[in-house]
Amino acid sequence: MQLTRRGFFKSVGAAFAATAAFEVAAASPALAVETSKEWKLVNTEEYTNICCYCAGGCGSLCSVRDGELVNLEGDPDHPINKGGLCPKGAAMFQLRNIVDPETREIVKNPDRVSKPLVRRPGAADWESITWDEAVAEIARKVKDTRDATFIENENGLTVNYTPAIASLGGSQQNSEEEYLILKMMRSLGVVAIDNQARV
Amino acid sequence: MTSHWCDFQNADVILHCGSNSVENHPVSSKWLNKAHERGAKWIVVDPRYTRTAEMADIYCPIRSGTDIAFYGGMYNYIVQNLIEPNLADYLAGKDVPVYNFEYLLNYTNASYLLDAEYSFDVETGLFSGWDDETNTYSNHSWHYQTESTEEWDTSASGDYAWVKAEGVPEFTTPTIEHPKRDMTLADPMCVYQQFKQHYSRYDLDTVCAICGMDRETLELVYATYAESAAVGKSGALLYALGQTQHTYGAQNTRAMSVLQLLCGNIGVPGGGLNALRGEPNVQGATDMGMLVHEHPAYLKWSNTTDRSSLRKWLESQTYSDGYYTNKPKFLVSSLKEWFGENATVENDYGYDWWPKVPTHKGAQDYTHISTFELMDKGVIKGYFNWGMNPCHSAPNAGFVRRSMAKLDWLVVADQVATESATFWKAPDMNPAEIDTTVYFLPCALIYEKPGTILNSGRWLQWRYQAVEPWDEAKPDYEMCDLIWTSICDLYEKEGGANPDPILKTKWDYYIDGKIDPRPVTWALNGYEIAGTEFNGTSAAPKTALLSGYANLKADGSTACAMWIYSGFWSNNDAPLDAAEQPIGRRDNNDVSGIGLNSNWAYAWPNNRRILYNRASADLNGKPWNPDRVLCEWTGDKWNLVDAADFTAVKNGTPVPPNDKAFFMLWEQNARLESYGMNDGPLPEHFEPFETPVDSNLLNGSLNNPCMMFAENESTSHGTVEDYPLVATTYSVTEHWQTGGQSRMCPALVEAMPAQFVEISEELAAEKGIMKGDKVRVFNNRGSVVVDAVVTKRMKPMYVHGKTQHLVGLTHHYSWAGVFGTGDTVNDLTPNVGDPNSYTPEYKAFLVDIEKA
Amino acid sequence: MSEKAILFDTSRCTGCHACQIACKCWNNLPSPTGLNENKFSGSHQNPPDINGTTRLIMTYTENEATIATKRVNWAFGRRACQHCTDAPCASICPAGAIYIDEATGMVTTDDSKCVACQYCSTACPFDVPRYDGVQGKINKCTGCVDRIENGMAPACVTTCQPEALDFGDRDEMIAKAEERLANLKARGYEDACIYGVEEMGGLHVIQVLKYGVEAHGQVANPQKSAVTTLTEIMKPVTGVVSGVTVLGLAAMFGLAAGYKRDKVVYNPETEDTVSLITGDVVQHGDPQDDKSVKEHITENLPVGKKGGSHE
Repeated sequence: MQLTRRGFFKSVGAAFAATAAFEVAAASPALAVETSKEWKLVNTEEYTNICCYCAGGCGSLCSVRDGELVNLEGDPDHPINKGGLCPKGAAMFQLRNIVDPETREIVKNPDRVSKPLVRRPGAADWESITWDEAVAEIARKVKDTRDATFIENENGLTVNYTPAIASLGGSQQNSEEEYLILKMMRSLGVVAIDNQARV
Repeated sequence: MTSHWCDFQNADVILHCGSNSVENHPVSSKWLNKAHERGAKWIVVDPRYTRTAEMADIYCPIRSGTDIAFYGGMYNYIVQNLIEPNLADYLAGKDVPVYNFEYLLNYTNASYLLDAEYSFDVETGLFSGWDDETNTYSNHSWHYQTESTEEWDTSASGDYAWVKAEGVPEFTTPTIEHPKRDMTLADPMCVYQQFKQHYSRYDLDTVCAICGMDRETLELVYATYAESAAVGKSGALLYALGQTQHTYGAQNTRAMSVLQLLCGNIGVPGGGLNALRGEPNVQGATDMGMLVHEHPAYLKWSNTTDRSSLRKWLESQTYSDGYYTNKPKFLVSSLKEWFGENATVENDYGYDWWPKVPTHKGAQDYTHISTFELMDKGVIKGYFNWGMNPCHSAPNAGFVRRSMAKLDWLVVADQVATESATFWKAPDMNPAEIDTTVYFLPCALIYEKPGTILNSGRWLQWRYQAVEPWDEAKPDYEMCDLIWTSICDLYEKEGGANPDPILKTKWDYYIDGKIDPRPVTWALNGYEIAGTEFNGTSAAPKTALLSGYANLKADGSTACAMWIYSGFWSNNDAPLDAAEQPIGRRDNNDVSGIGLNSNWAYAWPNNRRILYNRASADLNGKPWNPDRVLCEWTGDKWNLVDAADFTAVKNGTPVPPNDKAFFMLWEQNARLESYGMNDGPLPEHFEPFETPVDSNLLNGSLNNPCMMFAENESTSHGTVEDYPLVATTYSVTEHWQTGGQSRMCPALVEAMPAQFVEISEELAAEKGIMKGDKVRVFNNRGSVVVDAVVTKRMKPMYVHGKTQHLVGLTHHYSWAGVFGTGDTVNDLTPNVGDPNSYTPEYKAFLVDIEKA
Repeated sequence: MSEKAILFDTSRCTGCHACQIACKCWNNLPSPTGLNENKFSGSHQNPPDINGTTRLIMTYTENEATIATKRVNWAFGRRACQHCTDAPCASICPAGAIYIDEATGMVTTDDSKCVACQYCSTACPFDVPRYDGVQGKINKCTGCVDRIENGMAPACVTTCQPEALDFGDRDEMIAKAEERLANLKARGYEDACIYGVEEMGGLHVIQVLKYGVEAHGQVANPQKSAVTTLTEIMKPVTGVVSGVTVLGLAAMFGLAAGYKRDKVVYNPETEDTVSLITGDVVQHGDPQDDKSVKEHITENLPVGKKGGSHE
């Protein structure tokens, strides 16, 4: 179990408070208001995360109920952003789920691709592929390319590189992933390694 | 950055140049506003009146690509108005509060004497050491004159006894060269005198003519910023890609360092050179050395010249003095982490298994811009894109997609089908003619996986996984493991071209048999090899994690992938629990009173929040400003508010204050003049690759003589006769980079539904363009149709005595995506680069515009 | 809980749009998702105005510079409900769908009660409540009363990085606004002013306007319109709480033949339909009417909109 920010039941407690407050509001004389609205964060667990846009390092709070994200906003305890998030940060919820404008239901973001795809030579469109197949094919292509182009010695020097494979990117990954990507590429003999820091 | 986000609140003057931070680093606004309301003066120098400009007190327009002229003019202003009139008084022992002479004399190399051969020729725009044949410099004459030399004491009782320990690879230790100095700054060869002479050409009128500024505003900017040079005052300089994306971008960043040193603004609260990094973990990726010539943690990768063997690496990279005398410990520990038990002193710890980047004369370049040349030529056949989208983001993007069409295979790991994943679907491509096999691997979102991320202030923070990835999406660490282990299986079964570098690599980051980022954190933090077990179980993890990099050894007994991170994950009582590690700390009670927040998460190195913090106090260790203390010598010890970025204690004994304020350099003083750049020891103004003017008003060379890639076949040069408008590109706060993430959020597409070109009312009138019109922006690389924003915020400028129009383009849209699409603005940008960083020149080029 | 207010200090605002986005996300409000369905306005102001699914927008106005060291006065503004003390929308709402939250003073909503008559839109001096055709409901800022009740600030306030938005006791927000105003005046912003202290009986959005009222898109001297007068007449009636009465009130507005949103209102005392613009009676009441309440409500709604799910 991952650590939550302040414990699991904070939001449940808040829900009771909300009910009481609504009763106060409902006592107003003009128009009696009943609401069936449930507090949005009822029964949620909080997980802290860090924003995925600029390198501000703003903290975010992910509120999760039954394994699904129900809200994402700034972490009020975070000393850099103190609960704030910019427009992009404030929209991070939508990377996963969006509100369908017709049904008003929360649905998976239709722009996201969540299954592996392959585009074959000459094809005009994608086709599906399993992870196992994709990984096996990629490993084979990497090996064939490396084997055909690998330079072990050059001008009397052990050089152990392939000029034929390039790897781009890394600033989107977590640091552990960066290390694994770098380690894989360098050990394969890749010299053409770059990431967003270059531009 | 040398500072951190919360530190902006401490500034007395704020200068944005090449940064639109309230828009592109929005959290900066919180801290800048605090300084501003406290009374700080805020200056924005930018070609456009941005949202940041609206926040500031003074807006000063500048023609894109003329920053060095602007900074050079400021140096000249400071020399003429603050240094020259007061130097004699200071040397006579008088109090000169308006300028921090003590900083300049003791913490910078202003007093160092340069080699007698050092020179600069205004007629040619060349420094000494130029080689016409290769268009490169030898930096020999940019070094200092030597007063005396000293050898390392490697005897058993010496500082460098470790060199002789068993297991330490053999290398010849470096010689310390003590530079000659003239503390009166009178010697004509001292850095200060050369500097003064160099920038005497940068007078106000010349700067105005080049930059398109008016003299009154420029003088106000200079006078206002120069206030930060007073003793106890600080100026924060914020920059971003507006400075780096030029054919002299690295010199732009040096120019800013020099300005901050000249004003005594490095190492002090509210000061700093603040590179606002634009990607969530680009700080981490830079630290990780995911760049052709780099190695993790600011060491250099192996190459075919000065780093062609372990011994050569140690001899060329180990500094003679300062903290980088320890580099052998860092490199050997890195090799031990990489190859594990296969790395021994006998086989040079496996050094030769690492690929050597070709660096000899005439060798092929493999950096970003060059990779597309290599694809075009059929050299690069396979390409991985990890969350990066070059078909949209790389300059001369039309050439990029045509080059990528020659690949055999492409692997794209991302959350949306980016332009790079779908380059074969681009409007001008015919899929039937493209034989590339493309794999799209769906990745987990940031809150669908755990891991470490660094911000611009070098804070390491932990992301907890909140939810499971959708469908079959996977974290990149898992994808990477799947591919790597499949490749290893093939080599084990079939053999192939030298399998050793692959099969000798240590890859055991598993917990309970599953790939897991937490053992990788151990690798990054560093550990004693005896006592640490990888591939373990969550029930009984066994670690001997190091508490910091001071414990690293060069004898093969420690392993560490990232010496600078050492200490961030060091609690052996709970090695699998981020919350129990220094990275997981959440104490936001700021005891420093100046926003250091030292008990929140962890900052590299050694939890230092402000780099070079020794420079916050005078030669006797007394803080320049008693309200902003980072360190203070009490007479018998250092009172440390921030972790010391200097030697405060040696062998258990406090070290009294000295002038070694920059101990990451061998001379331990900061460099106004530097021999470390490829294109000159002092920043000098040159025009962009594409410029509206026909001469350089400051020297005889129009462009940077060392500019990269201008001769490539794919690079076309446009002239002002055909394309009369200066153009620059930038981001808006509602979107991000190529839009892969922000265009997948409907609320962001709604808030900024298109990319646009910003033009002045004057240019709009000339071209018959109205607000909201579709316009075509074009040059000899491409043509795009975008929406017109006609605005008072853009104005024509007067450059070299003539009216010059400047337009600005956002670049977030392209053909991919389901909510919002557009043309590819990087079809217009030139694929030329800086000679130090190879960074493309996105920020200044030529176009023309017409109603579409 | 004492009377609350949102403080918006335009001089701290960077025009970043985060408030607009955070409002959408917290309240699960959709944005158009068709390919290139969103049209660019030609400026940073997108969408160009609040609408049925957008409760808050940032506005951007450019004027000639009044400060010598700046190129232009680029005024960022906030366009959303101002949470009036004398809130015509709440007093005119026949269904109790818009009401003043007693605890905070925020003018909030209960969607489930909205009958989509849109009289609130007509009544609002700031032209704020908008009709959401898909839901068949009026949509406007609720003041995030749900968050306030749970000890949180409204979503727009929480997300604001430059701390241009603040939330707290109204008195305290006014005091802060005064401090900010003094700071701005000292920096040469001569037209700077505070907005919302007295307007419409006192707004619960207090603004510090760097370049003055109009520059930031605010309504100078918002007045009680003809609607407000009607509202005051209605108040005793609405005090008698019953579903029938509520619907009856709605019907009185629905009865107005030739009713057009934002143009005419119905006076229940005289049973006349009155033009909001001219004040003239455009149609006299018809006591012989026998249609059902719901029919009256729905027949006046624009074609294709789903209203009146209340029954």
